[in-house]
Amino acid sequence: MKVFLSLLTCFLLISMSATLAQTRIVKGQVFSKKDNSPISGASIILKGTAIGTATDLDGRYVLQVNRDDFTLVFSYFGYQPQEVIFGEENDVDVYLVPLEEAEEARVPVQLPAEPKKDKLKSPSELIENIPFQSFDRALQGRIPGLLIRTATGIPGGNINARIRGVGSIFAGNEPLYVVDGVLLNNVSSSLFTQSNPLAFLNPNEIESIEVLRDAASTAIYGNQGGNGVILVTTKKGNPGKLRIGLNAYVGQNIPIKFFDVLDGPEWYMLRRDAFNNSNATSPEARALSNMGILPENWNQLSSEELDAIGMGLPTYDWQSEMMGRSMLHNYELNASGGTESTQYYVSGSYHYSGSTFAPVDFERGTIRASLTQKIGERIQLEANANLANIGQNVPFSLEGPFLGNPAFASSTILSHNAIFNEDGSFNEQIGGLASQNIALVRAFNSGKTTSNMAVGNFAVNYTIAEGLNYRGTVGVDYRDQEEFRFRDPRTPDGSEVNGRNTVANHLVERYMTHHRVDWSKAFENSVLNVYAGYEYLTENRENIRSEATNINTPGLDNFLTGSVLVFSDTLNTGYKRQGAYLGMNFELGEKYLIDLGTRMDGGSRFGSNYRYGFFPFVKLGWQISNEGGLRDSESVSLLRLRASWGMAGNDQIGDFSWMGFYGQGNSYAGEPGIRVRAFENPNLRWETNETINVGLDFGFVNDKITGGIDVFERNTRGLLLNFPIALDNSNDLSLRNVGGLRNRGIELSIQTMNLQRGSFSWYSGFNFSYIKNEVTSLYDGLLSVPQNPRWAVGQPVGNPAFPGQTAPGAWYLAEYTGVNPANGRPMWLDINGNRTYLPTNNDRVYFGSNFPPYFGGLSNTFKIKGFELTTFFTYEYGAVVSDGQYNFLRDNGNRFTFNALREINDRAWKAPGDMTDIPRDFALSGGEAARSQIRNFGTASLLKADFIRLSQLKIAYVFDPTILQNIGLQQASIYAQGINLWTYTDYPGYDPEFMGSGVGQIPIHKSYNIGVQLSF
Amino acid sequence: MKRHNYKAITTILPIIFSGWLMYSCSLDMEPENMTPLSEALNTPANLEAALISVYANLRSADHYGRDMFAKADALADVTLATNNSGRFVAENRNDAGAHFSTGFWENSYFSIGEINRILAQIEKGVNGATPEQLRRWEGESKFLRALYLFDLVKVYAYIPTAIFQEGLVDQGGVPMPLSPVYDLENVLFGQDPRATIEQNYDQIILDLKDAIDLLEESERPVPQFASTAAAYALLSRVALYKGDWEMVVTASTAALSLPVGQLVFGMNYINGWKNPVNPESIFEVRFHDNSESLGSTFSLQSAFTTLLDVNEKNRLGGWGDLIPSPKILEAFGLSQLQTGNPASNNNNWDVTRNLDIRANLFTTGSNQRPNGRQIECVKFLGKNGFNYGDNIPVIRKSEMLLNRMEANFHLGKETEAFNEFVAFKIIKGLSPSILTGEELLEDILNERLKEFAFEGQRFFDLKRYGRAIDKSDYLGPDAIVPFEDFRILAPIPSGVVENNRNINQNRGY
Repeated sequence: MKVFLSLLTCFLLISMSATLAQTRIVKGQVFSKKDNSPISGASIILKGTAIGTATDLDGRYVLQVNRDDFTLVFSYFGYQPQEVIFGEENDVDVYLVPLEEAEEARVPVQLPAEPKKDKLKSPSELIENIPFQSFDRALQGRIPGLLIRTATGIPGGNINARIRGVGSIFAGNEPLYVVDGVLLNNVSSSLFTQSNPLAFLNPNEIESIEVLRDAASTAIYGNQGGNGVILVTTKKGNPGKLRIGLNAYVGQNIPIKFFDVLDGPEWYMLRRDAFNNSNATSPEARALSNMGILPENWNQLSSEELDAIGMGLPTYDWQSEMMGRSMLHNYELNASGGTESTQYYVSGSYHYSGSTFAPVDFERGTIRASLTQKIGERIQLEANANLANIGQNVPFSLEGPFLGNPAFASSTILSHNAIFNEDGSFNEQIGGLASQNIALVRAFNSGKTTSNMAVGNFAVNYTIAEGLNYRGTVGVDYRDQEEFRFRDPRTPDGSEVNGRNTVANHLVERYMTHHRVDWSKAFENSVLNVYAGYEYLTENRENIRSEATNINTPGLDNFLTGSVLVFSDTLNTGYKRQGAYLGMNFELGEKYLIDLGTRMDGGSRFGSNYRYGFFPFVKLGWQISNEGGLRDSESVSLLRLRASWGMAGNDQIGDFSWMGFYGQGNSYAGEPGIRVRAFENPNLRWETNETINVGLDFGFVNDKITGGIDVFERNTRGLLLNFPIALDNSNDLSLRNVGGLRNRGIELSIQTMNLQRGSFSWYSGFNFSYIKNEVTSLYDGLLSVPQNPRWAVGQPVGNPAFPGQTAPGAWYLAEYTGVNPANGRPMWLDINGNRTYLPTNNDRVYFGSNFPPYFGGLSNTFKIKGFELTTFFTYEYGAVVSDGQYNFLRDNGNRFTFNALREINDRAWKAPGDMTDIPRDFALSGGEAARSQIRNFGTASLLKADFIRLSQLKIAYVFDPTILQNIGLQQASIYAQGINLWTYTDYPGYDPEFMGSGVGQIPIHKSYNIGVQLSF
Repeated sequence: MKRHNYKAITTILPIIFSGWLMYSCSLDMEPENMTPLSEALNTPANLEAALISVYANLRSADHYGRDMFAKADALADVTLATNNSGRFVAENRNDAGAHFSTGFWENSYFSIGEINRILAQIEKGVNGATPEQLRRWEGESKFLRALYLFDLVKVYAYIPTAIFQEGLVDQGGVPMPLSPVYDLENVLFGQDPRATIEQNYDQIILDLKDAIDLLEESERPVPQFASTAAAYALLSRVALYKGDWEMVVTASTAALSLPVGQLVFGMNYINGWKNPVNPESIFEVRFHDNSESLGSTFSLQSAFTTLLDVNEKNRLGGWGDLIPSPKILEAFGLSQLQTGNPASNNNNWDVTRNLDIRANLFTTGSNQRPNGRQIECVKFLGKNGFNYGDNIPVIRKSEMLLNRMEANFHLGKETEAFNEFVAFKIIKGLSPSILTGEELLEDILNERLKEFAFEGQRFFDLKRYGRAIDKSDYLGPDAIVPFEDFRILAPIPSGVVENNRNINQNRGY
């Protein structure tokens, strides 16, 4: 395993320093005087020597010194170094004072400091060692205004992230992810699975994450910032002694739910009775025929004899065969340290996670290096490199009602079908509509997606003069993905063509450069900072696909002897963007702050009339707690009022949407035709997000209660909507910036120190978001879009599942009112509120969207001595979804001969007077059934996706450093953790958290892991 | 330790970084797999393919695929709507607004737009094209533009021979964009005003005369592609609508003399309707294979008959939404006739017929549709070897004869007209009586009704003579649409009227 090799190399590279005989062990914690947060990576040097250490992630330090009296120098970037004389005290906490002015000068800042950012202050506590493949998932429920949903249970799959609601219908809704200044392409390019590009980074390598929500903060990113920005900073080396960290965990993934489906005889009875209800002749024979087990001589058998066959059927548990537990491993090793002029951080990691549908899995190795070198007093160079290799097994379809998709068929296949024949071979005679043996499909088909990624940057910081600094960076985001999917000739999908192999290769490369100059000056009572910058980015994408049949060798080669090429095509595309910005912030008397600026931004995706746009912003802050009366108050430690306004753009449209082009047209007389598929649109431009935000940050009772509350209104102007260029080719997109959309909301976050007594402490964090989203205008005074009335003025738009999809509108359906107790037929309300069996399009009304207006999280941490217990709950309320898998099961074997849920079958109408929502069973679409809408019509197919979930339960023990000292360790902890262990919901499908159709998707899973974390 | 010369570095770095800056700055980006609209047609293959698409657009159900024949005959007194599928019932009743569709307008103008872009490219030159190709493309394009424009103007405007209160209530002709458009705003919100009817016809005639010259050397297969003969034939019809009788005679004569399509007599004529390609066709719209079939929802076959096969009438096919009106039944002496037992078997049914050979184009259908067994027209019955995709004869040789005799009549050459009329009747298996004056004209028009039943000509024949559509004999006493009625003209699509400030909607809508 190459990853292990790299880990081994790390070991070998790091020379172990010999330990000296020492007499004193001192320890303590280093905090920032500014906000009392622990400082991780602060260096501690024995004055006059090279002996020293650095603080751990909680700011703790331990040092052995073989002297009686000595002085330690505590230092950290951006803080005033502090010397502490150690007399008799061995346990000393140090508070470092920030160098306000020097901070700007020496700490390389990507973009201007924000008055308010949501910073995960302590990644070690929040996301470290959560067994997720990408960090975005770990943000679920942590940050107000940020909704995170896991799309499916595919490990390393898509994560749906929405900052402050859904702001676009036809353009994308993806936030911008920036890792160490590299602007990432986060769109999965895999054809056969979901491959989250953010998985290139081991989440444990993250030092901090900031989420920029309002346009006043994201305006500086121009037309990339409209959907919010997520800034990630990775861990870096710090001056001080070499530190080695070792981290390992193992665990298991566990299916979140098994459906309680009907056994063989039960399904037979259901179907037989359904035929009876349809007044069909020989219901027993018909039911057996549907199950594929009608004996040849059925004509000679009585209904009792046929019944006996049905009632004597065996039952096989397909779900247990296909779904199950899988392994989870993670191993990491890192080394860091440095001197005042050189700091380094190197690490390697290996991660494996199965899924609940083996052999779908995820395997990753990463290597990371970060180096900082000072040259003289004025120049500092930095380099960061992240390399990752990811392999994902994808042996079958992972989404959709495909009969060979185990996630679809394991619950819909009829239970009487044996998995294996008596001789141990696969049973290939599967009765019912789900007619493929998915165990056979799993055994013979194969497929794999392999991604190689490199993300890195190089930066120069140059102090031109005092207070005047330059920083220039170049960055690269590179992803090469190759994948194949093989359908074996022995499987139903492959037998017709004697094997089918599909191969794809995707290359995504981004290069970017960013230059920035900062000038700051302190006056008697104020500080002024002026900055300007320029940014340029280019992206190229190349896709190659081919498919061949008559092929029985899985792999990346389609050009084998005898194979027949079905198609082969390539696509090259890309775009460029550039922008320049200018801004200033001014702080007066530590009380008033103003920050304003603008960015001019352009991109190749826009029409020639609108290549460049301006994105101005202004922020005002008032530190009320620094006013005379409150300055020394203990009960009010912080009170800050903020107001901001800004504009940011959304450029997530096709690369050449502004261009007109010819595409395939109709053929005539056997000759191929082309026609205009899109007209030139020189007016096509970004959507503008304009946000007004008012917020209050507070801290009470010596900061025992801290938090913030924000009220915002985010307006999307120039909302892109689709115009058909002619009725008979309405599929052609002609986007025009004509509509409007609004998200309004309230965000609250609060952290409390509930109890601190002796060695026991308890603190909590809670956040809550309310977001209301609605279309404010369409075009031509229309109240709903004619081609899709789900987009309507005053109604919300839903959340698109994946990048590139248009946002669904509000649900617009006839309201289901349950079953007529007299006859068991389903009923809906017509537009006048009367019950009807046959609602029409005119009876539709609006029913909300799949975006939850209420969501958030609650964390609690309890500490006693070395023990630490963390619970973290997430919640969502108000989303209305349609779950395709559940709807197939809700059909109860009526239209489709799929298996059914016992709970549904029990609830079905059986006799006059039954009050229920599940109609009488019918097997033929004649008679009364033909004169009713189908049972899943209208809102009958909608579910409430509300839930409260125990997302994380973790218990850790941190060993006493003084004991560790004896065995040469600086820090050690062990922990056990459970993910998604408990969910409070009445959701009847697999799980309320999914994106997309829900059909045949691998549901998210539970997991637990136990681990150990050591540092030397 | 030796001290480094940092000065050198501080000098070099800005140079490197300004280099990076220089590299950037341009936002020009050309897609590798796409050609910009204005350059896309600069290769012979692309230009050819673009033209192919314009032909294919004629196949749209909104145009020749169905409506130009079925809807026109539903509006006129040729058909009765059965309400089997509910289609054409409103058109048959001449309900306000039930007329040619928005899709017809959009398909036609989209096609005219494509032609204008093609013609613009031909004018600029096509890289690698021979002069012969350029001439042929231009000729075909102009023929097609004339055809699309003529069909638009005859539907949305009055016909020059009968304009109701000219300049007072009529709103003129139709918009006539002739230059290429590449940008979306102009496509969606074109502000072309309605030209006058005269301007429309002048342009159509100009295009056709050009096409006649340009296509002389063309070696394209006929009748599915434009030819000099097709251009003459269309010119003959256009001239007939314009009332330019001399031109009708010239153009008809030229079309008849050219070897595209042939006149067939007797049962050969009937068999011609069973051929994939009707031997009479001078220009027809081609359905090449099953993938182009319009299916049972949209095709002419489905609109006119419930059959898939005249020899096996128990195989249920389309909807049979439009069946012959009493006028047609009477003209061909059609009534249902049981030919065997049991009566429930559709094969035991046929019709009585008079001597007119064209009566053979009618028979009984299937009893499996709500309205039961009916007499149906079987001009379109899967003759291409697949269902719901018959080639559509747009202009046939017979029309040239009828156009010429009508023109000769108006030119005062009644003898020539009568002689031609007699010859025509004999071709169709009839023995003519001696007619003169208005009686002769009436019988010529009646001959057109019979010849083009279920081919969509009757509505326009009534319109160009300013006559009422009279269905009172079978749809009730109120079923008369006088020529003064606004329902004679189709409504311009409301979206077009809203977006285009320069367009006036037709009266009444």
